[in-house]
Amino acid sequence: MREIEIKGKKIKLNEEGFLVNPEEWDEEVARELAQLEEGITELTEDHWAVINYIRNYYLEKNLAPMVRKICQTTGFPLKYIFELFPSGPAKGACKVAGLPKPDGCV
Amino acid sequence: MNQLGIKSEESSAFEFDQEKINQALDFFRSKLDSELVTAFSTCVHCGLCAETCHYYLVDREPRSTPAYKLSLVKKLFQRATSSRENGQEVLSRAEIEELVDVIFGRCSLCGRCFLNCTMGINITRAIRVARGMLAYLGLVPDGLASTVQTAVAKGNNMGIAKEDWLETVEWLEEELRAELNDPEVRLPVDEKGARVLYTINPREAMFFPMSITAAGKIFYAAGEKWTFSSENFDVTNYGLYSGEDDIAGELSARLIRAKEQLGCEEIILAECGHGYNSNRWEVFDWLRQQQSHPVRSILELIVEYIQKGKIKLDPGRNSEPVTLHDPCNLVRLGGLIEEQRYILQRAVADFREMSPNREKNFCCGGGGGQLAMTRFAERRLKVGQIKADQIRQTKATIVATPCHNCIDQLMELNKHYQLKVKIKTITELVAEALVFD
Repeated sequence: MREIEIKGKKIKLNEEGFLVNPEEWDEEVARELAQLEEGITELTEDHWAVINYIRNYYLEKNLAPMVRKICQTTGFPLKYIFELFPSGPAKGACKVAGLPKPDGCV
Repeated sequence: MNQLGIKSEESSAFEFDQEKINQALDFFRSKLDSELVTAFSTCVHCGLCAETCHYYLVDREPRSTPAYKLSLVKKLFQRATSSRENGQEVLSRAEIEELVDVIFGRCSLCGRCFLNCTMGINITRAIRVARGMLAYLGLVPDGLASTVQTAVAKGNNMGIAKEDWLETVEWLEEELRAELNDPEVRLPVDEKGARVLYTINPREAMFFPMSITAAGKIFYAAGEKWTFSSENFDVTNYGLYSGEDDIAGELSARLIRAKEQLGCEEIILAECGHGYNSNRWEVFDWLRQQQSHPVRSILELIVEYIQKGKIKLDPGRNSEPVTLHDPCNLVRLGGLIEEQRYILQRAVADFREMSPNREKNFCCGGGGGQLAMTRFAERRLKVGQIKADQIRQTKATIVATPCHNCIDQLMELNKHYQLKVKIKTITELVAEALVFD
């Protein structure tokens, strides 16, 4: 467990860099996670399109969306998702969107 | 929640109901057989195993030596087989906490100590049986426990709903049709009488579907009659890692049922180390059945396609230097050693072995459920240093490995140790090299 401080607010991350309390997520947290975990210095409009879709899907269904849904909703090809988030949809995009770590081989 | 009514993550809150622990020891005793009992008396403490274990090689802690891990299981054996008086403390809080830390947190069940043990002791198996006892107490660490539970409750270890799975297959089918410019290409689901039932790792459908499309492309090129199952498509079996034989048996039985319902001739497993070990070998212990259900890895099928001339490959299409990581469960514990080499020698232009390799290879650090157990993540990345060094020495720019679990750990090592490589499955490299007449 480690803590990061964003604008005076302390946010807990687990050993793999996922938010311990997903409800603490906001856009500032996303920017910090993107920098920390993916080395992305500036989130573009396309990054936000993916992040916001994943975040809203999670809030509604308590699940991460499958990559098909991410591609079809944003209109981005699969390859481009991996360009935006080099660690992939799970440890890249979902982590930045403040989701907990999914089960399985990830 | 475990049977004592506490969450496994909170081992500090573990209530020491000695009656429950007594029952767990009885359960442990019921799993013993001559091989295990002999193992406990055979270790001569030569210490050779220490230098074979990636945990010990990296942290140099006595608790990381396989002989020490075995001694903890031996202690359980001694407690389980000696007389226990009512109310007597059989295992203390400190002993239970150490068991969880060592048996789950310092072993990836890779079998390298077993291979190198002068006395031939199957230490891996002893540790798995001890995990089963801890599972009985509900002490499987979070992440691994939830992955098992999700597989049991939802039919696959990521909890993918049937309609989402079907929509993903449909989407990938469209993509493949566009790529091959053939509207007849299919990714069939529940096709009765297909020769092959193909199973996948759910993470492929969820997040990394490139390998599904690649397999579809290879089947198309070979003219294979194959199908997915709409219900039972999950090749993984985390019951192997949690030590829960009853659950592991049920998960493997699902694939066999799907094969029977669809009338397929054989089950072909996607690239998955522990899925291969589970569904090809361990299943006989779990289900006590004869080998009436042919199960092979897709690697074996690809070798057959190449040898029979059903597919043609142009290695020039993969011109970057490629090295190969041998998944422990597939290679050292599964016996599938040369197939991936036979394929790579024909699918890529520059194939380089890492050293050591084949059955002597080191675990990536992500096996044995380590990838799922967040609690031990820092340790997992640390012990992966050996693999990172092995990769770097080859100067390859692509690391191929026939296991999706290894792939995820290798992706993390790539980032952590800045290896600057690409990680791919064998299937993806083969699909890339396919030549259509």
